[in-house]
Amino acid sequence: MLTLPPAVQELKSALNRLPGIGPRSAERIALHLVQSKQDAVDLLIRSVKEAKEKVSLCETCGGLTETQPCPLCSNSQRQQECICVVVKPTDILTLEKSQAFKGQYHVLGGQISPMNGVGPEDLRIDSLEHRIRENPVEEVILALGSDVEGDATSYYLAKRLSALDVKITRIAQGLPAGSELDYADELTLGKAMQGRAALPHD
Amino acid sequence: MKFEPGFHLLLGKNAQGKTNILESIYLLATLRSFRGVGAAQMIRQGQKGFFVGAEIIGSQSDTIKYYWSMRERKLTLNQDPVKRLSDFFGTLRAVVFCTEDLQLVKGAPRIRRRFMDLLLAQTQPTYLQYLQQYAKVLCSRNALLKQYRPDLNVLDSFSRELVKYGQALIDARRQLIPKLSPLARLAYRRISADAEELMMVYKPTVQTDFAEELKKNMDRDRQYRSTLIGPHRDDLSLKLNDNLASQFGSEGQKRTLALALKMAQAEYLTGIVGYPPVLLIDDVMGELDRERRSGLLPLLERAHHAKGQVFMTCTEENWPRELGRRLTRWQVSQGQVQWHESQS
Ligand SMILES: [Zn+2]
Repeated sequence: MLTLPPAVQELKSALNRLPGIGPRSAERIALHLVQSKQDAVDLLIRSVKEAKEKVSLCETCGGLTETQPCPLCSNSQRQQECICVVVKPTDILTLEKSQAFKGQYHVLGGQISPMNGVGPEDLRIDSLEHRIRENPVEEVILALGSDVEGDATSYYLAKRLSALDVKITRIAQGLPAGSELDYADELTLGKAMQGRAALPHD
Repeated sequence: MKFEPGFHLLLGKNAQGKTNILESIYLLATLRSFRGVGAAQMIRQGQKGFFVGAEIIGSQSDTIKYYWSMRERKLTLNQDPVKRLSDFFGTLRAVVFCTEDLQLVKGAPRIRRRFMDLLLAQTQPTYLQYLQQYAKVLCSRNALLKQYRPDLNVLDSFSRELVKYGQALIDARRQLIPKLSPLARLAYRRISADAEELMMVYKPTVQTDFAEELKKNMDRDRQYRSTLIGPHRDDLSLKLNDNLASQFGSEGQKRTLALALKMAQAEYLTGIVGYPPVLLIDDVMGELDRERRSGLLPLLERAHHAKGQVFMTCTEENWPRELGRRLTRWQVSQGQVQWHESQS
């Protein structure tokens, strides 16, 4: 049986680790690349390398950016008194697409998950508290997942932030239960943002 | 294969695959084995997985297909993949009568919890969802309790989630048992000539307020590094004349009681849904004396009148002739099913 040359095999497994690329597509792309013109391959290598070098996490909000702070954080047109807390950097993009929110963002970097050994100290909570103290923040909107861990993390945050003089709300639970922001369409997100409610923290 | 409404007798020697037919039907109703066998053990030797499918014709017609292998499982309802199990449960309702039922009386509380859970999952779409969420929170909370020094605020957040789902489970069970108990008592009387009074009592580990009691129990939970109270520790006590059947009942009384519980389950489902569930009877008749068998008759009669279905496995020598009526006989040998005869 004819097998792939080892280098192609290696490229294939590297591609296979990317999201949304199964073994078949990985093989097709790998074979395509090794047969492409040098220019095309160089362009791809350069853009991957550049994107990786230029893009980092915003030190303020934790979103993806090429500048410090990111364009969202440095945009003075956006509301300063409202911070929306999300789980991961791509959640910002999802919310921005929905145009439901014009304030600041803060990426937690995960949710509390005892089964996976993720505790509050592993999340960007200290920097969130710091931002609330240092800025005229009036409202913190929690836009976490609507699963068990999202619920527990929201409650934990509401309780912890209640020590600060700030209103804490959570986006409406119109999102399908147990899901992440990714799966909500823009209209649903917009409604969820409008229908946010204060969180009890007794 | 097509099964008309009515009574189906699956005849054959032992180990010829009679029970597999019942298993398949039960699997389509509950996605699990009634013999408590894991899915991996239901795969035929040398195969990667198993497949069951059926068209279920009731007030409407639904097609269920279920494929299971170590690598994937696919469940579709009318060609659509089932995203939430709670959308699926209730498409086909079945009650099984088998030798393992005796464990309802003799076995660990877990078996009686599963009895309540299955019945509630088959009648309340949200129950299963709560049950799954509860299991998840419980795992998280126990993982926290096992940490060297758990963050008490995090523990508190997960306790709150535990109460949210757990209280819903407790409430549903608390409402179920008083409705089920009289049905079981009636069934018991019908089967047994003795006059013992059967009582089912829900025994929750939480008395009134889950949140309060969880807080009170926190030190113990931390000491044992595990959640000690909650619906995952509940039990259902079965009493005959105020005595625990598991301790004081005779072997015969235990058998009658197990049968009565299953009959109550079938009657309860009929009452809620408006038509009888599919009854699956696995060789149980062979073990019952004539008197107990005849107690089952009214239930079977009713299923017959309501155009329900009854499937029963038997060996040739012990099929209960008193169940006469109109029945279809199938011969099962070496995994093959053959229509044998219909009689009126
Ligand atoms: Zn930023």
